[in-house]
Amino acid sequence: MSLVNFTTREITCKIVYYGPGRSGKTTNLQYVYSQVPSDRKGQMVSLATRTDRTLFFDFLPLDLGTISGFTTKFQLYTVPGQVYYNATRKLVLQGADGVVFVADSQLRQLDENLESLQNLQANILEHGVDVRTMPMVIQFNKQDLPPELILTPPELDDALNFRALPTFPADALHGPGVFETLKGIAAGVLRGLSEGSGGIRRL
Amino acid sequence: MSTTTVVEAWAEAPLVRYVSQASARLVVVMTPAGQVLAQHGFARAMDLMAAAALGAAIMASSGALAQQLGERSFGALFHAGRHHGIHLALCPTPRGSLIVLTVFGRETSIGLVELFYEEFAAALKRAAPVEQVREPVLAKDFEADLNRSLTSLFRR
Repeated sequence: MSLVNFTTREITCKIVYYGPGRSGKTTNLQYVYSQVPSDRKGQMVSLATRTDRTLFFDFLPLDLGTISGFTTKFQLYTVPGQVYYNATRKLVLQGADGVVFVADSQLRQLDENLESLQNLQANILEHGVDVRTMPMVIQFNKQDLPPELILTPPELDDALNFRALPTFPADALHGPGVFETLKGIAAGVLRGLSEGSGGIRRL
Repeated sequence: MSTTTVVEAWAEAPLVRYVSQASARLVVVMTPAGQVLAQHGFARAMDLMAAAALGAAIMASSGALAQQLGERSFGALFHAGRHHGIHLALCPTPRGSLIVLTVFGRETSIGLVELFYEEFAAALKRAAPVEQVREPVLAKDFEADLNRSLTSLFRR
């Protein structure tokens, strides 16, 4: 749950980038890291294997600036996408204020996207959170690949977006869609704070 | 100069006392999700957040390992380096479980840290209130501020 310091007027929120292996979660954070001035970001921490696959998580603290008089900080995390790392995914998801689901737009990855989405819902439920109240957006990544290899955003929306969540086509490697996705989830999470209760309901 | 800052005021007095007694260099009191409630000694907020994220991750993974072995938890962890040691422990409070990361140097010892940590954990438990239902924090029209902040963040 987001932390609010009324004395120093600071808000800290935890955002988790979730999705199947190699969908581009770490790439999203790397792009954000490369674009943000150094006084507005911390060191990017990556607990990865020798081949740069995420082993535990990546972590990037960001200073969003002042919003409604509160200095707002976001902590961006990724989870390991590979199926057999579910225990660590569950740990990283603990206390999340919002989730970005990074889907791989490739046609051959559709089943992996669905499996990961179901896994996300199961893990949120295991933390005792009503999944319908968790702020979430979906990013359709790798839209830069040749059209014959990928599904279009409307096709992906039909296949994956059962809750009518905000969606963002993206090419995280080169940047398009990364900013819009972050903005989308930030708005979703902060909306909860403007309505009280933090937005997230526990079961 | 080292500073102590707290998000919730009830944590301040026990933390100041603990830092002084245990001669700790850095201390972070955090939630299991890695959110910082109080700290001592960090000069830069972003370094503090990274330390909290890693501390929470260590506790989360060792807790999961404990469960697999049929243990409830491993209580406290200790790692010794050449110049620094870290002590990482769970602290149950009415506000929920908290995690305390203590970094100490050669001016003290793990024995003293453990000794004063027990007192600190008891003081936190006494001082912590039960979590309150949260009132709205941000104004309804926060999105204009958000757009401006993110635009400047991405230099667009």
